[in-house]
Amino acid sequence: MAPLIEFQNATLGYGRKVVLHDISFAIHAGDYFGMVGPNGAGKTTLLRAILGALKPLAGEVHVRAETSGEPLRFGYVPQRDSIDSILPYTVQEVVMMGRYREVGLLRSPRQKDSDIVRESLRHVDIEDLHNFAFRELSGGQKQRVLIARALATKPAILILDEPTNGMDLSSRISILELIRKLHDEDQMTVILVTHLLDDVANYVKRVAIVERNFFQVGNVDEVLTEENLSTLYQMPIQVAHLNGSKLILAGGVRGK
Amino acid sequence: MGNSEIIITILREFPYALYGSIIVGLLCAFLGVYIVAKRVVFLGAVLTQVSVLGLAITFLPITPLSHSLGSLIVTLIAVIILSRLLTGKKIPRDAVLGFVFVFSIAVRILVLQKTEQVETSEIENLLRGDILFVTPDLFYIMLAVFVGAMAVHLLFFKEFTYISFDAETAGTQGFKATFWEMVFYVIAAIVIATATHMVGDIFVFGFLVIPPLAGLLLAKRVKLIFLISMLIGTLSPLLGLFLAFKFDFPSSPAIVAVASALLAAAWTANMARKA
Repeated sequence: MAPLIEFQNATLGYGRKVVLHDISFAIHAGDYFGMVGPNGAGKTTLLRAILGALKPLAGEVHVRAETSGEPLRFGYVPQRDSIDSILPYTVQEVVMMGRYREVGLLRSPRQKDSDIVRESLRHVDIEDLHNFAFRELSGGQKQRVLIARALATKPAILILDEPTNGMDLSSRISILELIRKLHDEDQMTVILVTHLLDDVANYVKRVAIVERNFFQVGNVDEVLTEENLSTLYQMPIQVAHLNGSKLILAGGVRGK
Repeated sequence: MGNSEIIITILREFPYALYGSIIVGLLCAFLGVYIVAKRVVFLGAVLTQVSVLGLAITFLPITPLSHSLGSLIVTLIAVIILSRLLTGKKIPRDAVLGFVFVFSIAVRILVLQKTEQVETSEIENLLRGDILFVTPDLFYIMLAVFVGAMAVHLLFFKEFTYISFDAETAGTQGFKATFWEMVFYVIAAIVIATATHMVGDIFVFGFLVIPPLAGLLLAKRVKLIFLISMLIGTLSPLLGLFLAFKFDFPSSPAIVAVASALLAAAWTANMARKA
């Protein structure tokens, strides 16, 4: 089956500034795909290219127009700190924003849209928060609201930008388990962008290491090796295993 | 003069002042909620000064434009230039706005030095907005702006809401964030330019900030914030004009003082609720 997204020898950047050079990879339906790399390495640039907000300087980026007879929609979950709401929008109102595109110009949301909003809230286990103000929620609750809003768009691909950044351990695991559930139970294609290596090491199936001169794509075990990570971060990094989980330790002895 | 006589005098002799200040109050209070929410309050202050500069320029003998048109053109040009300058990363936004603010005031003073058409006090009155002498023409222009601005905002409420809350995600869903931002600021520029000509900079800037703040203090729902803000935007000119007549105050400052008193009441109510 043709991939949903395909980069063919694509060079990405802004004006004359090249951020990622000659990259090729594909994301297929049902993938759980991670993008990892240091801050400023080009993850956001890659994301913008996937979302169609950035045209490649060279090469091609193909995004399939439709899937299963439906237009291909992205459910985008931004970094929650990028939302600075002074106005006390309720959770219901925030999630309804995910329906605005479908509602269309000059129309008000209908009962069907309200039902989809309720269903999305139920899906991420926060239906009881529908009347709360978004700005007054905890970080984990806000993240669930933003995921619910993305689900309300009825997406083919869910894209999450640093979803666990700045969260305490239990909230972080809870969000990662929720994303895994959406992937496993709903067969949703997921793209997870993060700088936290543990998030991708133990959750995603395929991963891209994003760095200007070191772009690698493949299965987690092939890509997240001590050698690759040590090259990427320019420091010794050790990949250990504990109770079936991968642990990535900075400062370990390279190769041991 | 008794209270009923004051009311009758205002209604009979100054209907355009009364209705004009109400529609400006209402409209600025509505737009102000977005302006406060977007954290661009200083932009409101800057645009009022730019529109005053536009008015001042129309007093130059070489300028063939009417006061309204001159103010509008200069404010629109400023919005377009600011939309480019404010997205740059080299210079902070508030520094750009600060520059435009002080530049507008400085140039206005220089321009007024070179005008000989009318008395300086007359010009200053016009620049400050003399509510009591609002002409029917100016009132109907303002009414048209009010209807147009409210219609666009009500028809495209979803777009303005989404872009002001989360422009990045709205963009991924096909909403042209830059376009809607520009529509918002162009409408704001038209409203501010027309309203400043009619009621002055103090009134306009005051109503972009004070009623929305009261709404934010009192309400826990977004729709209620808009309603409270617009209610204060409507009541303050009514009460302010009455008090200006009764105690012989200048009208614009009296109206802004009433709005400020209502804000103080809102703040007190908010504190009492928390206690």
